[in-house]
Amino acid sequence: MFFIASLILALALVHKPLGDYMARVYSGPPGRERVLYRLLGVRPDIEQRWPSYARALLAFSLISVLVVYGLQRLQHHLLLSLGFDAVPTHVAWNTAISFVTNTNWQAYAGENTMGHLVQMSGLAVQNFVSAAVGMSVAVALIRGFARRGSETIGNFWVDLIRGTVRILLPIAFVGALILVAGGVVQNFTGPHEIATLAGGTQHMTGGPVASQEAIKELGTNGGGFYNTNSAHPFENPQTWTNWIEIFLLLLIPFSFPRTFGRMIGQLRQGYAILAVMAILAVLSVILLNVFELSGKAIVPQAVGAAMEGKETRFGVAGSATFAAATTLTSTGAANSAHDSYTPLGGMMTLLNMMLGEVAPGGTGSGLYGMLILAVITVFIAGLMVGRTPEYLGKRISAREIKLASLYFLVTPVLVLTGTGIAMANRAGLAAMLNAGPHGFSEILYAFTSAANNNGSAFAGVTVNTPWYCVALGLCMAFGRFLPIIFVLALAGSLARQQAVPVSAGTLPTHRPQFVGLVAGVTVILVALTFLPALALGPLAEGVH
Amino acid sequence: MAVAAGLLDPRQLVTSLPDAVRKLNPLTLWHNPVMLIVEVGALATTILAAAEPSFFAWAIAVWLWLTVIFANLAEAVAEGRGKAQAASLRAAKRDTTARLHESGGVVNASDLRPGDLVVVEAGEIIPGDGDIVEGIASVDESAITGESAPVIRESGGDRSAVTGGTKVLSDRIIVRITQKPGESFIDRMIALVEGADRQKTPNEIALNILLAALTIIFLVATATMQPMAIYARDINPGVPDSLALTADGVSGVVLVSLLVCLIPTTIGALLSAIGIAGMDRLVQRNVLALSGRAVEAAGDVSTLLLDKTGTITLGNRQAAAFVPASGVSPAELAAAAQLASLADNTPEGRSIVVYAKEAFGLRERELIQPRWVPFTAQTRMSGVDVADRQIRKGAASAVMNWVRVHDGHPGEQIRGLVDGISASGGTPLVVGEVNGGQARVLGVIHLKDVVKQGMRERFAEMRRMGIRTIMITGDNPLTAKAIADEAGVDDFLAEATPEDKLTLIRKEQAGGRLVAMTGDGTNDAPALAQADVGVAMNTGTSAAKEAGNMVDLDSNPTKLIEIVEIGKQLLITRGALTTFSIANDIAKYFAIIPAIFAAVYPGLDALNVMRLATPQSAVLSAVVFNAIIIVALIPLALRGVRYRPSSAADLLSRNLYRYGLGGVIAPFIGIKLIDLVLQHLPGMS
Amino acid sequence: MERLLHWTRAHLVAIRAIVVLTVLTGGIYPLLVMGVGQALFHHQANGSLVQKDGKTVGSALIGQLFTGKDGKPLARYFQTRPSEAGEGYDMLSTAASNLGPEDIVDTLPVPGHAGRKSLLTQVCARSRAAGELEGVSGARPYCTDEGVGAVLKVFPHRVVSVNQPCPATPFIPKYRGMAVECARPGEDYAAGRTVPVDGGATAEVPPDAVTASGSGLDPDISVEYARLQAPRIARERRTPVERVLALIAAHTTGPALGFLGEPAVHVLDLNLALDQAR
Repeated sequence: MFFIASLILALALVHKPLGDYMARVYSGPPGRERVLYRLLGVRPDIEQRWPSYARALLAFSLISVLVVYGLQRLQHHLLLSLGFDAVPTHVAWNTAISFVTNTNWQAYAGENTMGHLVQMSGLAVQNFVSAAVGMSVAVALIRGFARRGSETIGNFWVDLIRGTVRILLPIAFVGALILVAGGVVQNFTGPHEIATLAGGTQHMTGGPVASQEAIKELGTNGGGFYNTNSAHPFENPQTWTNWIEIFLLLLIPFSFPRTFGRMIGQLRQGYAILAVMAILAVLSVILLNVFELSGKAIVPQAVGAAMEGKETRFGVAGSATFAAATTLTSTGAANSAHDSYTPLGGMMTLLNMMLGEVAPGGTGSGLYGMLILAVITVFIAGLMVGRTPEYLGKRISAREIKLASLYFLVTPVLVLTGTGIAMANRAGLAAMLNAGPHGFSEILYAFTSAANNNGSAFAGVTVNTPWYCVALGLCMAFGRFLPIIFVLALAGSLARQQAVPVSAGTLPTHRPQFVGLVAGVTVILVALTFLPALALGPLAEGVH
Repeated sequence: MAVAAGLLDPRQLVTSLPDAVRKLNPLTLWHNPVMLIVEVGALATTILAAAEPSFFAWAIAVWLWLTVIFANLAEAVAEGRGKAQAASLRAAKRDTTARLHESGGVVNASDLRPGDLVVVEAGEIIPGDGDIVEGIASVDESAITGESAPVIRESGGDRSAVTGGTKVLSDRIIVRITQKPGESFIDRMIALVEGADRQKTPNEIALNILLAALTIIFLVATATMQPMAIYARDINPGVPDSLALTADGVSGVVLVSLLVCLIPTTIGALLSAIGIAGMDRLVQRNVLALSGRAVEAAGDVSTLLLDKTGTITLGNRQAAAFVPASGVSPAELAAAAQLASLADNTPEGRSIVVYAKEAFGLRERELIQPRWVPFTAQTRMSGVDVADRQIRKGAASAVMNWVRVHDGHPGEQIRGLVDGISASGGTPLVVGEVNGGQARVLGVIHLKDVVKQGMRERFAEMRRMGIRTIMITGDNPLTAKAIADEAGVDDFLAEATPEDKLTLIRKEQAGGRLVAMTGDGTNDAPALAQADVGVAMNTGTSAAKEAGNMVDLDSNPTKLIEIVEIGKQLLITRGALTTFSIANDIAKYFAIIPAIFAAVYPGLDALNVMRLATPQSAVLSAVVFNAIIIVALIPLALRGVRYRPSSAADLLSRNLYRYGLGGVIAPFIGIKLIDLVLQHLPGMS
Repeated sequence: MERLLHWTRAHLVAIRAIVVLTVLTGGIYPLLVMGVGQALFHHQANGSLVQKDGKTVGSALIGQLFTGKDGKPLARYFQTRPSEAGEGYDMLSTAASNLGPEDIVDTLPVPGHAGRKSLLTQVCARSRAAGELEGVSGARPYCTDEGVGAVLKVFPHRVVSVNQPCPATPFIPKYRGMAVECARPGEDYAAGRTVPVDGGATAEVPPDAVTASGSGLDPDISVEYARLQAPRIARERRTPVERVLALIAAHTTGPALGFLGEPAVHVLDLNLALDQAR
């Protein structure tokens, strides 16, 4: 309880200055990073229309995939390979997509697959830039709302560089040092053996973990240096580093609404969005804690607590809170085995992702996802006040609602068709570790996680097979870039519009009424979409 | 047009049934993807039922067909109401002949071309729309307006337009035809009320996109449930096959039922009926919207331009005070003013007589050999000569000049009075007399613009709705301000020229506002065309009627306010039924999911919160409810959701409770009630 | 053509961007963290290594096995939690069991096939083993006395105790009037209704002793588990149990700041302290 309360307090204190700072970074003149623009060969004062912005983003992502893929395939020729072989093609492809899309789904175990250089200069780089890409898309959408009659929505390269250099790098650096102080390792040690106290031997290994760990949380990436991610004592050694990691992964997503409010010049609109996120998040954290602490399932009852797959130092609550935070954001790091959660606790982690990663969601992606939901809500509610719906002075007409609908369609369709196809073929079914409805939940979780770019897993599932690497890779790619294209198109069309002045006839979008409505619409739409699947998975397992 | 708005006669349902069945044609349903899916589902279940007959399967099939028919019925009923009006309009359009002016030859009315000159005499039907170029006539326009009193139409000015199909009652006119064959006003009216060329409006298109997206989601959710269900059945081999779930998965009939229950059929079924009914409501108020877009825009309007005269004030000024000159008693002035006005039949003149009677108890008098002096544009005054007394009233300068000519001295005090009245927005009429060679000014009559009753409240209402009202007047700024303050409008445009109006509209639009206005004159045409909602008065010129996107057959400018409300009501009805439709899905899930899966996962029976009797009765009840709710909501769709002017936040709260929360709760009750009946049918266990 | 030009240009910039950003975030940044980290927090940055007599015996953060060559627990040491990392506490294959909370039916071994123990049976077995080691009852709810999951498969006309291979004696003789059978390995019981039986036992072995951790490297155990082991340690080391309990208390970390996380006993530290106390 204090754990959660202290997190809320800390975020409440920090989101304002950070949100304001981010607004300044994205709307102010170029700073000392100017030299980087010259290296890139872009002029920071020239803005792009949305197609160019999207083209630049896609080109950058494509090149990123190739680089990460190449590094993995060539790692046996690289420095610090630790003697590991080249990563198999399908795993390398899956991993490249996974890190570029900010999913950080891992079809491999870090400690016995990836050399230090690949981790540090391939994967961790994507932790930065994929987060910066998400932030740039959110900022482009904010500009769409803020601008009037503008053809351009910003310059992707400038947003990418600014986000990385002026926001992510400094915070990650401080975060990394704090984590080192807590015991997260930062060295180039490879696998070696030591003699244990009891006279046996134990494998040890190190790595540049802290630098990757900090950005893994801050950028809501979630790809662990080691297989067991933030449960691993070298990634998350203390109860207080656990707190720091949760704080870091919530930090930017919860600060972005402030940036939004600041950039559109109406702070209260930012607060409304923040309130929707916070309500959903707090509800989810509480429910997940309640389900885990009450331990309603046979094995937890036999054990006496839902301790399977959880670390002693974190306990049930510290694990459940981390699980809620990591699935509410698109982080997907894990400090415990979600697969062993109680059925309803596990369902909450699923549901968090099914919300579309909006409460508060990933860096940037959470805000743009929530704004899309606000647009859909405004459309339905706006009609009910007898006007063509408008949000922040921008009319939501056919083109806008088409883009918002397409955005909203992408992930449910990917999740459900992916799961459906997996359930209908032998390669899909073979991946289950657990039997019965829990096995189905593993598959459902995999596709939900991939399509929503979360990256956490009911990790019993065996996904390093070519079938899954390809299927989930496609889900991650489509689940990331289709929505981004729709958001940028929406930003373009909003930026072009003039603003409708606010009057008493305008639906107020900053009041509790609207906050409740967005939260309600989100939950109902998600529940309606996924109820059959949830009924056959966690509900079938958990309701007796 | 005596059709009462909003009431649904049950007989209409029966008479529209054949149309509803005819609309089952998939080509007709193509424009409504949601209902097309239901029809495909109905067809599929029929085939399945035929292949493996069971009472349950046939019952589902029948009710799915009924769902489609009910949807068609809603549309057919909405259209049917327009058809009656169309029929009466058609009667007016019966074949007429036309006499050409130049050649004198007789041609069929349908052969007339724009520019043709035709002669129409008393007792003849005007063969086509046009402008009078010569003559004056009284015309019976009841065929289109429903108003039986004849109207005067004359060449030149703002009353020159005539409509084909109306009847000349007296005199003879020459009309220049302005319409193309088959595009007459009546033709357009017929098409409009029949909804024949109804095009989807922007908001309707947007809503359709959202509904399509929801449909796709539920299609995917239902389709992908099948492999999950097969797996669930597969890992529970001990569970016997049920009607809903076998080793092959969920039975086709149940799967289709779930799909139909989830996709937004309620709003899908009623959407076009709502649109047609919205247009219809305007027609009931004698307003013709020439495009559906205009009706929607009316709901969005944030600035109303209202002409002062006739809209905000009564058409005429009225006497409001008698201000005597020094040394003259008020009664004396009143008496003189009354005398001067006895023969004055202008509204102002009559109002002076009325005021004299009300304020001073002066009755009308019989005068001995009065000589009435009528008003002329040259003298700018009128009055009476009785014996050796001459009384005049009129424009201040004219009367004072007249007094001076007769050696009187009007004095500075009068000038002060006149200026004071002008400044307060009134019109001063000076009364003077020459009595026994002695000329003097008796005082000033204060004529005032009288604001119509209830306008202040109306404008306050508009303000609550977030609509700014701007008064347009030719008066000077001082006068305009006084009236604007009294009427309670937000702003005014004084000494307005047509160009000023156009500029004002453009300025408002540049600020992102939607503007509505009324107009009748040819010089209003550019502004009417520029406005988002331009309501032309039917009495106006054809140019004005061409430029606007609505025509008010009653020529009542106040109606603009009602038009805005109807526009809002249309959007609210769509939004409310969409919300209701989506909210309904929750209960349907609670009915169908446990019905299918409680056999394999007994825990899921906990979801059966309605305690429906059997899986079959649960599924059937949901399907039946889904169909019946469409019929139940037809009256609402036609009547429109009740609209009370209030702020957006209040409106939202009210509609959310009613249609959101109501939409969640209603089906739980409805499905349970239906189940209580259905469970006694054979084949339900 | 123009579009192609746009795309080509975008890709050229993209290549430059990835190079620049890699140098920055994949080179300078981690090396800077390493430099400052190694300087300021040398011990932590290198894995918080623990030394005994000048030799590294492990990391303070990583749990390790205290078992003999035969894999049996060394009675003179506090035991860590069950581990799913490789053969136990293997940093090169960290893992959790990932078994679900309703994983309660075993697949019994048949010749040629090893079978699979359900999570419930694993818990029951660990509980029984820990109970034996510490000389307390290893009984738990939903567990049979011999340490498998107490789970029935109920058919219309027969009942099978599905985790108890014949010729075991079923944990209850009768269920709803039907005689309970032992399970015949290889037979398919999928069609039966699964009925776990609580049995009403109160567990004396604490939860962390019967569950595997998330990382497989959990360095800590609960205070309860440590206390449970204290008598055995005292006996083996011939020290008063109070002294052992005092050592436990000395190596218990409370929740950070008093509210973050759970109190935990650090096993390696504790065992080191025991060895040094000798």
